[in-house]
Amino acid sequence: MNLLNFKDSKNLFKKYNIEVKDTEIFNDKESVLKFAKKIGFPVILKVFSDKIVHKTEKGAVVTNINDIKELENVFDELDKKFKDKEGMMIQKQFDGREVVVGMTHDNTFGPIVMFGLGGIFVEILKDVSFRVCPINKNEALKMIQEIKSFDVLTNFRGKKKVNLSKLADLLINLSKLAVNEKEIVSIDFNPVFINEKEINVADFRIIIKKNA
Amino acid sequence: MLNNIFNPKTIALIGASEEPKTVGSGIALNLLKSKKKIFFVNIKQKKIFKKKVYKSILEIKEKIDLAIIAVPGGVVSNIALECVQKKVKGVIVISAGFSENGNMEREKELKDILDKANIPLVGPNCLGIVNTKNNLNASFAPFIPKKGNIALLSQSGAIIDSIIDISRTENYGFSKIVSFGNEAGLDLSDYLNYLVSDKETSVIAIYIEGIKNGRKFLETASKVSKVKPIIVLKSGKTKLGKSAALTHTGSLAGDSKIYSSVFKQTGVIEVNSIEELLLTAKALSFNKRFKNGVGIVTNGGGFGVLAVDYLDAEKIKVPQLKKETLKFLDVPVLKNIKGRNNPFDVLGDALADRYEVVIEAMLKQEDIHCLLVIQGLQVMTEPEKTAKIIIKLQKRYEKPIIVSFIGGESFKKAISIIEKNKITNITEIEKAVKVIKYLTYEK
Repeated sequence: MNLLNFKDSKNLFKKYNIEVKDTEIFNDKESVLKFAKKIGFPVILKVFSDKIVHKTEKGAVVTNINDIKELENVFDELDKKFKDKEGMMIQKQFDGREVVVGMTHDNTFGPIVMFGLGGIFVEILKDVSFRVCPINKNEALKMIQEIKSFDVLTNFRGKKKVNLSKLADLLINLSKLAVNEKEIVSIDFNPVFINEKEINVADFRIIIKKNA
Repeated sequence: MLNNIFNPKTIALIGASEEPKTVGSGIALNLLKSKKKIFFVNIKQKKIFKKKVYKSILEIKEKIDLAIIAVPGGVVSNIALECVQKKVKGVIVISAGFSENGNMEREKELKDILDKANIPLVGPNCLGIVNTKNNLNASFAPFIPKKGNIALLSQSGAIIDSIIDISRTENYGFSKIVSFGNEAGLDLSDYLNYLVSDKETSVIAIYIEGIKNGRKFLETASKVSKVKPIIVLKSGKTKLGKSAALTHTGSLAGDSKIYSSVFKQTGVIEVNSIEELLLTAKALSFNKRFKNGVGIVTNGGGFGVLAVDYLDAEKIKVPQLKKETLKFLDVPVLKNIKGRNNPFDVLGDALADRYEVVIEAMLKQEDIHCLLVIQGLQVMTEPEKTAKIIIKLQKRYEKPIIVSFIGGESFKKAISIIEKNKITNITEIEKAVKVIKYLTYEK
């Protein structure tokens, strides 16, 4: 597998105005602890490695870490368990509803973007929508509203309607990336947290061509 | 460029034959029925259907607009070279034995020969083309269909044959039919580009298994669908590359999902069966598309409930009747009817006069953009009278009406009356609602 490393991924996002906030990768515990203090608790700690396809299933992700002590313990544990890694990714625990955004290449139509809700919606129900790139805002909003479970993103169980405009912008930016970056085979942003105010890409996976 | 294929003055058939039940004789007989100048080419025969036979297209003195090649696949390229030398203006290759059998190189050779000479190519591995305007059946389809405004493009020749046969007892017809085969030269987008300005065509129906030039189709279909409705029936599935499957996005991006997205993105109507393709084509050959909002008139409560169930599942609106509409309905002929809703049940004992008032009232209401008029059979029902009222009101208000005359023999005449007046009948309510969904602009 050719997974793009953290540093190159972040540079790529910057180029296409895809913001990944309060997220960093380190190899030493000191830096992790320092960064956690800066962004504030609760935080998430993840192993960043191209050897692990499903981080959650392998136990390579720990969420809702509430203080320094807990973070230290989790770091030691993960560091011991996963030797082969690029580093340890620390991130603020984002708030909002989980969505999945991605891109890949279709043999017939070229670059395409995908949208769906996170968790069982994408994995079991496969309730996702696609568009061929590039897309404009109108098309982005349409593909968001096209999924069957769209109502989850509106005023749902006392929650406020999410910021659809920011979600559409993320899809548009990803679509631009998909059109321009020929070396990239496929991308998942999973999960992306979205609430009424902001959108945060919590995890990403970028597959590049074999010899790129 | 395609004009020479659809409107040739002179046609040469290479591989003509008079042996019954062969492709060569099928096309020969079809061509003889057109009023074009036809030339038969066959290296072995002297006469075919009493006409002179040439050993080569190069022996023909006249200029040839269209060459139809129906010889074994292996010799097609040689014939194509002769066509280039003869300076024909278009070529249809009926012969099989090209990329569909893995003979990629043979197909490329043929394409290159004709491309170099700038000669448009239909096929190979196809049934041919039909133009009803000039009675040209340059195919081995057994019949020429009725004239009409539907253009049919199909990757499958067999589906064309069946559709032509189905349509013989129907009230719609075709402008052009193209069996485009392997698309070595002209592709689906080229035909769409031609049909967009074809005066005889107002709706385009397509059957495909796959699209050859995806990006070109994206651009062309978006443009053409703004001018003329495109309906597509797509079959078949293929897989994406392995590396893409390493992401969720990659593994979820199945072929049919991407195609469906492309159709949505380009404004193409995607249907699920040959029946839906034909019913939708019929409706669009009679009506324009409309906004979301349906009024229902029925003489049976059950029909109305079924219709609402189906419409609801398709997210089609069934607007409440407005004050002005209710006022319009306040007339003696309806005085015994308590329910004043959409669907409006004119009750089982309704004569045509009740239909008349309710249809007109609904057509007047602004947020009702299409009417579904349902009629089942009771002893007092007046199908033909109702049919005439529907025609009269449809002309006056110019809003689309879909009719479901639900029955058999008793409605035959009424159905014929409305369809001859370009109003669609779909007997099965579920199918009628499907067609309404397909004709409705974004929900």
